[in-house]
Amino acid sequence: MLIFAISDKGGTGRSVTSTNIVYRHALQGNDVCYLDFDFGSPTAGAIFSVGSVARGTTRKGLHDYLLGEGAPEPHRVDVWTESDREGLRTKPPGAGRLVLLPGNEGGGELPAVEEETLRRCVQLFSRLDEEFDLVMVDVSAGRSFTAEMVLQATVRLPSVPFRWLVFHRWTRQHIIAADGLVTGADGLLDAGTRFGHDRNALRDRIRFVRTAVLEPDAAELVGLRDEQRAWLFACDTELRELASRHKVGRTSMLGKIPLDPILQWREQLISDEDVLASKIANAETAAAFDDLAKKIVDDAAWEGL
Amino acid sequence: MLVMGEVHTGLLQNSGEIPESTCRDVLQLLSGERVRVSRRPIVYAVSPDLLTGVDCRLPSASQSRIRGAGTVLSRSSITGGRVVQGSSFTRIERSGSDRRQPWSHYLARPGVVEVLGKVKSRDLADGFAEDPPADGLDLGAISARFLDVVQSSPLLDRRAPFKIARTRLRWVAEEGEPAIRFTLHSEQMRTVRLVHTGEFTPAVADLCEDLALHDWLLTALLVIIERARIGGTPGPEAAVKLAPAVDHLLHLWMPSARVDDVLSAYWESLDRRPGFTRQWQSLVDRVRDQLAVHTLAFLREKSGGGAR
Amino acid sequence: MTSVNATFGEVAAERRIASAPLSHVSIELGHLYMEDFEAGPERLREQFRRVAPWAGTVRSSWQDRVPGGRARVSTCFLIDDYFSRFSTPAELVPMVLEAAADCDLTIDYIARESACAVSDGVELARLVEDRLVNDPPPDTNGSRPPVKESGWLCNGARSPQVGTVQAMGKANRWAPPLQNAKRGHSIFVDVELWDENGGKRTWSCPFLAAVWQLLRLGLLRTDGRLPLRPVMREDAFPDDWESLPAVMQLNPAAAPFSAYTTLSVLSPRFLPVELAVRTILSQVAVDGDVLRQVVARSGGEGIRLEEELVDRISYVFA
Repeated sequence: MLIFAISDKGGTGRSVTSTNIVYRHALQGNDVCYLDFDFGSPTAGAIFSVGSVARGTTRKGLHDYLLGEGAPEPHRVDVWTESDREGLRTKPPGAGRLVLLPGNEGGGELPAVEEETLRRCVQLFSRLDEEFDLVMVDVSAGRSFTAEMVLQATVRLPSVPFRWLVFHRWTRQHIIAADGLVTGADGLLDAGTRFGHDRNALRDRIRFVRTAVLEPDAAELVGLRDEQRAWLFACDTELRELASRHKVGRTSMLGKIPLDPILQWREQLISDEDVLASKIANAETAAAFDDLAKKIVDDAAWEGL
Repeated sequence: MLVMGEVHTGLLQNSGEIPESTCRDVLQLLSGERVRVSRRPIVYAVSPDLLTGVDCRLPSASQSRIRGAGTVLSRSSITGGRVVQGSSFTRIERSGSDRRQPWSHYLARPGVVEVLGKVKSRDLADGFAEDPPADGLDLGAISARFLDVVQSSPLLDRRAPFKIARTRLRWVAEEGEPAIRFTLHSEQMRTVRLVHTGEFTPAVADLCEDLALHDWLLTALLVIIERARIGGTPGPEAAVKLAPAVDHLLHLWMPSARVDDVLSAYWESLDRRPGFTRQWQSLVDRVRDQLAVHTLAFLREKSGGGAR
Repeated sequence: MTSVNATFGEVAAERRIASAPLSHVSIELGHLYMEDFEAGPERLREQFRRVAPWAGTVRSSWQDRVPGGRARVSTCFLIDDYFSRFSTPAELVPMVLEAAADCDLTIDYIARESACAVSDGVELARLVEDRLVNDPPPDTNGSRPPVKESGWLCNGARSPQVGTVQAMGKANRWAPPLQNAKRGHSIFVDVELWDENGGKRTWSCPFLAAVWQLLRLGLLRTDGRLPLRPVMREDAFPDDWESLPAVMQLNPAAAPFSAYTTLSVLSPRFLPVELAVRTILSQVAVDGDVLRQVVARSGGEGIRLEEELVDRISYVFA
């Protein structure tokens, strides 16, 4: 299955969330790979703590592959053996493969979707689908040629299942923007329909993920004054209404990731050790990733709205 | 002088095995040319041979810049309606001239790449078996595309019973005293160096395809057994994970089925050491024993429940 | 028990290739287009008068080459019924035969150009298109599929597309196209093989001419069989082109239609077309078994054929 991770704007925590989802999915015993299609800023290597590709690869990366710069196969990084974090460097028993396909260091956004590039993209997806249970593609933020390319590629792979995750923060602007990215003019549905997707079928394959969510009843808020808490509660209620008006509401939401300081300060994988041993991460955060890693492949969570 | 080839092997992207007639349709890559099928002892269907033109650097252990031009011969095949292969090879020959000839010259020698200039056979063979240069002759990419062509056929449902990586087997064949060396490199990469008496015949390529097929079967079975985590997970769970091996793989082991009599000694020697068939048999036994143990446990549980 | 030598065969697993009866040379006496027809029988006679001495020369040179002088020479004539339809076989064929006879030429076979596109349900043009193996520019190492411009075929590398490669990346600048096996300077040729209008494909004249040459060389097979066999003429010629066989044998005593070599006697105005034909033919991969078959046959007769099939084709532009 192909999963496309996109966000309305930058800074939503799309990359850190999607990498954590694949990490959890691998721990659950599946073979997974992560494609860094955020061509303008390919930094997934840093999140997986693979220093050699922290800002993309200097070998044949995904740009080279897609643009046909003499790369029959893009560079692959086996996270279980190449990560600099000791805790990641041994594959836990029962875990599946965890492979990163980095972008090129110093690569730029795609200038347009050429037929050749599209053909290579289709070939790549098709080959990876043969090999991995889950292929997570980080598509970058907003409307881009990359998003256009993967929309077209999936039209040409009618039998390969795919899903979209739209990441947004829990604020007024982000909710409106996330809705716009999906349903607005030249959004995913418009563009997808133009390339040959069925609008309703495509809509069924899109879910929202809320990031950095601060729940009004969260433990962190215990020290707040009553007035502050009341204000937060009112805001949250208003946002819920706004979200459901924009169809970004609960039914189309796949999950939410609580605000966790560790993710604000350093984008990284949250291992069980971070929760249990060093206690730098919150258990709720790890649980939210774990939950999402299950839900992305759970058909019940994706039934038509 | 010598022959270089590369075979890629993978699981056909279909929920079940496909019948002979579908194999024919999927492998119909060239109009006016029949797909050849043999049914004994296992259904094996192979596309017509197709050519790809190349003009590029050839591998060289001494890093010399050697240029060759000509054609590579490729085909796709399906074994048992379940395992798909993309295979390419080319005979490397000395050219009478140092300069690139008109293309019609090369098309008169299908499946031959001519070296422009001087070259040592051993240097080429060593270079190819080791790590060929990225800008050099890439038989792997050609074979991968011949595998893609089958996998992307609209006649397949793409719901394969399990996910598995393709394996690649790169081979070099030279003339001399008969010998064979099979080397496992990374998880997916293998090399075979083969020395045969007398002139090269396509039967050598058939042998390498047969070796690649069986090496893939072994690799796939090992992966499935590893995923089942026998002993590490509850019995029923392990049994479920082992089921695809029984459904789709165990009946496909037919070493040397299509190998020319003259060459079957190579298979026999590999079966003595490292002993492919021995390893296969022990894995098959392990799978069957697991399932038997699980069945017994299941029956005991059932009858125990009935007694209460 | 003694060991038993078992053999097992499966018909579907074996490849069988029919062999074609072959002359030594096939001489094309002419190619008739609408405008030639409209110009009247005198134009035809003029053409045949020009052709006759060349045909005679080739015939006698083969008679010298073949032991006992028993050269097998057949002649043929192609009528365009593909790009434009005119007149009827009943009217046209006798006129052509008469004009040839006036110049002491015998036409052994007459063929329809549309047969090179489709004949008896076999798409010969498609068959040949599938067998094109593109002439690779230097540094083609197989890592990418051959660069194909749909419907075009060239003898080298085209100019790169001018434009940017990726956002904020370097722009491509114009560069000249290059011929692959150039000698000093390039003669770059890019041939249109077909075009499509409303889903209907029209093969180009050079492409059909390439098919025509392959038929005359007896190098095409479909499922191992010969794609077309000449049909002996009946007393009367039909009134529509569809009813005329793809290749019709007019002379019962004629040598085989296909031959080891071909000669075409053409007006110099066909020079660019024939350059295109050679560009195409030098990229057609003829089946290896068929090639070997023809070499073995000719070798058996003590004739050494040119290795490259484009060298088995010759022209007189007169």
